[in-house]
Amino acid sequence: MANKPKVYALSTCPYCKRTRRFLDDHKIAYDCIEVDLLDDEKQDEVLDEIEKMTGKRAFPVVIVGKEIIVGHDEEKLKKVFKV
Amino acid sequence: MTVPENVRVYCPVCQAKFKFTPNWKAGDIVICPICGQKLRLSLSKDEWVGERPEKGLEKEIRERTDEYARLKGYVFNDMKEELIQGLLAKNKRFGDFYCPCRMEHVPEFMCPCKPTRGGDVERNGKCYCGLYWKKA
Repeated sequence: MANKPKVYALSTCPYCKRTRRFLDDHKIAYDCIEVDLLDDEKQDEVLDEIEKMTGKRAFPVVIVGKEIIVGHDEEKLKKVFKV
Repeated sequence: MTVPENVRVYCPVCQAKFKFTPNWKAGDIVICPICGQKLRLSLSKDEWVGERPEKGLEKEIRERTDEYARLKGYVFNDMKEELIQGLLAKNKRFGDFYCPCRMEHVPEFMCPCKPTRGGDVERNGKCYCGLYWKKA
């Protein structure tokens, strides 16, 4: 895959953990940003980015190429990653 | 001491006031009927307030969530334990039991959050993070 998938997550969110576990279990390499652990300035920047992409502040957000998956959705993950 | 009928008790979790029952006295343990928090009553500057006897402890959030569900007739599903762990992580990292699925660490998002207390479960079948569910 040209660009690694990106996951925006909250460190305390169990659904974000499930999404990460799914990717780990399927040996899919990804970059993860734990938004709640960023410093204030970086956090504002990332939240603006997420809101522009998804129209809301909900987690997890998985970006795979042009696909954006909001919330933990195994069916969508399986479809997008063809697993 | 006779307590006037309109006396109310302030809950520091849901930041609302509920009706004082005439036989209550300072030091009594009561449950906030709005959010399910266990409170120790005290009289402060002529106002009854509830203090959190187990503030920040795992016991506090487990009891609060169970009490709230009992008061409202809500149920949990298999995500409960993971969400409780998320609440504990919020408390450890951000100072109180804020919703584990929200970014904002503000009083209205302390569990059970304000939208939940405002009827989200009735409207949507579940609260924002999916801890509390309407009984099927």
